[in-house]
Amino acid sequence: MRFPLTLLSLVLATGLAGVPVTAATGAGPARALPASGAPAPAPARPACRAPYLVDHKLPNGARWRLCWEMRTIEGLTLTDVLYTPVGGREVGVLRSTALAQIHVPYDSGEPRFHDIGTLGEIAVALQAADCPGGERRGQYVCVTTRPRGHAYLKSRFEEPSLSAQGHDLAVYAAFQVGWYTYLVEWAFSDDGAITPRVGATGSLSGFTSASGHGWQTGRGTAHVEQSHSHNIFWRLDFDVDGKKDDVVEQYDFTGSGTAKRTLVRTRFTKEAKAVNGRTRWWRVVDTRSRNADGHRISWEINNSASAQYRGPEDEKFTRADLYVSQYRSCERLATNNPTPDCAMSVDRYVNAERLTDPVLWVNVGYHHVARDEDADPMPVHWQGFRITPRDVTAKNPR
Amino acid sequence: MRRGRTVMALAGAGALALAGSLLLTAGDQGPQAARSSLGPPALGDPLTGDEIARAGEIASATLRTRMSTGRVELLYVERDDDKAAAHLRRADAYIYDYGADRLIVRTVDLGQGKVVAESADRGVRPPPSRAEEARAAELLLADPEHGRRIRAAYAAAAGRALRSASDLGLRAMIYTPRRHGAAAEACRTHRCMRLFVRLPDGSWLDTTRIAVDLSAKKILALEW
Repeated sequence: MRFPLTLLSLVLATGLAGVPVTAATGAGPARALPASGAPAPAPARPACRAPYLVDHKLPNGARWRLCWEMRTIEGLTLTDVLYTPVGGREVGVLRSTALAQIHVPYDSGEPRFHDIGTLGEIAVALQAADCPGGERRGQYVCVTTRPRGHAYLKSRFEEPSLSAQGHDLAVYAAFQVGWYTYLVEWAFSDDGAITPRVGATGSLSGFTSASGHGWQTGRGTAHVEQSHSHNIFWRLDFDVDGKKDDVVEQYDFTGSGTAKRTLVRTRFTKEAKAVNGRTRWWRVVDTRSRNADGHRISWEINNSASAQYRGPEDEKFTRADLYVSQYRSCERLATNNPTPDCAMSVDRYVNAERLTDPVLWVNVGYHHVARDEDADPMPVHWQGFRITPRDVTAKNPR
Repeated sequence: MRRGRTVMALAGAGALALAGSLLLTAGDQGPQAARSSLGPPALGDPLTGDEIARAGEIASATLRTRMSTGRVELLYVERDDDKAAAHLRRADAYIYDYGADRLIVRTVDLGQGKVVAESADRGVRPPPSRAEEARAAELLLADPEHGRRIRAAYAAAAGRALRSASDLGLRAMIYTPRRHGAAAEACRTHRCMRLFVRLPDGSWLDTTRIAVDLSAKKILALEW
């Protein structure tokens, strides 16, 4: 029984019977409410239990721990993502990550969909074959491991080569949004990298268009399937080695048509937005935690594979590839944000507030020009980006 | 983005709420409800069916009369994931006030059994609930022209007459207002949705140029 005593007494005293005991799920002894004015104790991380806890050691010894949750609006959401490199200490990476929007504008200008509705209500039940080598958590989430090819291969003098095969831990779910089935996945590698990605499959919409906006599919010339974009936004609340001291930096390399290239670092002290560049990348760095080499630990975001869709005036949220905002719990989606306290879209979250707890919003676009091979069921097309450790360990963790 | 948050002191509301009937029954919580294991949930676990029901109950306590007339509707309950309250078990109840065309989000502290914060605004567009989705389909079927078209398509695909909206594969999405003609301008303040309708043969009806205005109970033709 975990009901606060005062309220319980009130309930009993006023004779409000019929309240199921199991409904009373307040703070228990292990996480009692702090006395008024006392600082709140930080809960242990990850703050969940089976079947919501994923705790997996990959074959090389790297370990990932995290919680998953199927939220009504955002669907699959991962929290308290912690990484233990081989031979190293556990370090926090993400406090939370989920999809923040799938914006689907068609090339003729209309229609234009914002596909995040109540994703939690439209998760697709996974069959055993949909989760190969893994374990389904409930009906909708798969947790599995799979090979990722060579982790490294180095030839040696008068010795066999030094090589190893790498592995990923993958956590994913599928959602049916209209014609499309979206596979929403995060892969956690044994070298500390994270790959968030979304695969679109299911069926094409079947929207026809003038030939300038599509591609002839099916027999002959009768049907022109309209081209469209999937502009996918992820929300990533990084808490590198804890919530404090996180800073976002952007790296550029000057020199075009010159022999020299020079590294230029820009530190975002205020909320910011940025566009991709071929060699540009960002990192979230903890300014206090250092690896054994004395270097600051960080995770790098590399988003170079986006089609970089840029929409009209009323879709300004499409006009940057990365947004960095100060953490606010009510800023959840990149468009049609569902909470009254905050602005409606990610471009308006960014308004020069000082950054002390940065949240990153990554926008990756894919432009889909249909082909005959897309006839039902449509083959999966993937889009995503990479998050890689930079100086988390002092050498290759293996 | 810095905006204020209204914290309300609703002393006693939680206890009063317990007296009411359950608005949502455990087991009807959609896939997000925790199906755990024995014992109470951990802080980071999804809400259990019981917690969702109780949060809905507590959040709705002061809105009973208006809910019974359908002017106010509980859309859904999400686990509150505010980092600043990570040591507490909290839920956010999304409530739509059709009378004022306003979204209300009430944060319920499940430990204290009361509403601890409320925010509300017009023009906010949370995704449609299941009940709204069904109502949008009923409105569409009640429209003479669209109703006839859907019934004919259903009969052709299924080989039998459509009995009700629940025979259709439905998916509602929030309508994002753009310049889609004079009628659709109402959606900047009204609760409007797009509706995807799937037939038993797996095909989809073309509903791209339709929005359903639930506030005005009207079907809107989108123009472009």
